[in-house]
Amino acid sequence: MTFTSFSYFLFLPFVYLIFHLTVDRWRWLVLLVASYGFYATLKAPYLLAVLLVVTGISFTCGLRIAARQDEVIRKRWLWLGSIACVAVLALFKYLPFLATRSQSLLLSFNPSLIISIGVSYFTFQAISYMVDIYLDIEEPEYHPGHFALYMAFFPKLLQGPIERAGDLLPQLKQPYKFDHDTVRSGMLLFARGLFKKLIVADRLALYADQVYNNVHSYSGLSLVIGTYVYALQIYFDFAGYTDMARGTGRMFGINLTENFNSPYLAISIADFWRRWHISFSRWILDYIFKPLQMEWRDKGQVGTAAAMVITFLVSGLWHGASWGFVIWGLLHGVYLAASTYYRPYQKRLHKWLGVEKKPWLKWWQVFVTFNLVCLAWVFFRANTIDDALYVLSALFNGIPAVSAEVFSFKYFKEIIIVAVSCGLAALLCLLNRAKQNLSINSGILSYSSMLHFVSVTLIGVLFYIMTFCGVEAKSFIYFQF
Amino acid sequence: MTTIDKLNDIFRMVFDDDTIQIHSGMTANDVDGWDSLSHVNLITTIEATFNIRFTQKELLTQRNVGELIAGIDRKLTA
Repeated sequence: MTFTSFSYFLFLPFVYLIFHLTVDRWRWLVLLVASYGFYATLKAPYLLAVLLVVTGISFTCGLRIAARQDEVIRKRWLWLGSIACVAVLALFKYLPFLATRSQSLLLSFNPSLIISIGVSYFTFQAISYMVDIYLDIEEPEYHPGHFALYMAFFPKLLQGPIERAGDLLPQLKQPYKFDHDTVRSGMLLFARGLFKKLIVADRLALYADQVYNNVHSYSGLSLVIGTYVYALQIYFDFAGYTDMARGTGRMFGINLTENFNSPYLAISIADFWRRWHISFSRWILDYIFKPLQMEWRDKGQVGTAAAMVITFLVSGLWHGASWGFVIWGLLHGVYLAASTYYRPYQKRLHKWLGVEKKPWLKWWQVFVTFNLVCLAWVFFRANTIDDALYVLSALFNGIPAVSAEVFSFKYFKEIIIVAVSCGLAALLCLLNRAKQNLSINSGILSYSSMLHFVSVTLIGVLFYIMTFCGVEAKSFIYFQF
Repeated sequence: MTTIDKLNDIFRMVFDDDTIQIHSGMTANDVDGWDSLSHVNLITTIEATFNIRFTQKELLTQRNVGELIAGIDRKLTA
């Protein structure tokens, strides 16, 4: 079951109803059962077992770390718990990869049957919980049920956000108070995410997939457009998912971390990582980069640059066992490592040229950053390294090769859907703003009834897409991580 | 010269700003240019000036200037 499936549209109101009718004391149990049920629908029972194992390891190690005063023993428990979690993650992440290369070892094993949805996210969350207890930043959770819910809370289980114990656990324990506006805003946020995913990301995917699954048929501007389209697709796909997760959480009175803040408006790669997949970038910054940087602090800039490269190499590996992800991570590591050297000179250069306060400078930096990010996306998206290298070599092969397919009848229906939906969404925004500025019933038509009409039409379009456009076939990109 | 005075001089030198006046609640958000790179410079300069060595754990748990000062004082009295 995913957020865009029909079963979720039955599951969510049902869980909410039970949650609403249950007394506060047992609401955690409703959410926990719902979360395990939600995970079980992936039809991979071992995933539920893995979740339970990681929950048990981190809960036990957390209590052990907190109970000890001796620093050596505390550290030992932290290492034990962290290594166990990383081992579980590695097993699920890399076993299929290794198995494809050593079929003789596992003759009857079909690696394609292994799925690891959610494992990367909850293992990282478990490690952050244990580290925070070790650093005395957080108190351990003594209630196994509350802790299990912190690990399994279904809106963030499959694809994050990766929540810190200090952010999520207190919210899961606080009494629920029904608030009409909060529930409504949660539903709207969910709908916004659905729009981003179904209308924007999945339509953009049609072109990006066409190009990237047949790269040798394209060259020049087609590849540039294909790469830009993929950059937008992955953003809307993941941001859409996050909106749906946060919207669902909000309905239950839980505020999940915002994962995106207009990442393609970043003015540097460092700025990009403050805006893209924020819960993940905070994690790698706090638990990999900072310890490495401090360990190598006597090496000065070289130490910081090396810490950057290793952190982003790990980030690449976290996304999967493929050279494309490794190179993608390395590229970002190199961008950031290089910036530690050139940044002081960059400021001086801007000052010397007298452009540091020019308004266009910011847009130039946005343009350069976006293109650097897109360059790295080539390796992230391409099916093989050869494909990625071909894309890079053919990117500048001229303009005439723009694919006519994007304008052909094949995509005509999709273009109409996107145009109508975006038009309705824009109208919705305009009406909302107008309603805030004017009295509700001014004019011939009341803004409220227009709002309702447009909203219902938009929901109708979404419903049409879910029913007739094969939504189920297109899963979220970040599920694979 | 107290710890806070010495530390203030270090801040002014590292961040190249003679107007900086540190206080307990001050964080990286309050000082222009206090990023991960300058933070390393700050720590290594503090360690060299006070002739102390912070542990990883101490460095990862310091949230503001007040905790930094407390950490320095703890090291000096140990």
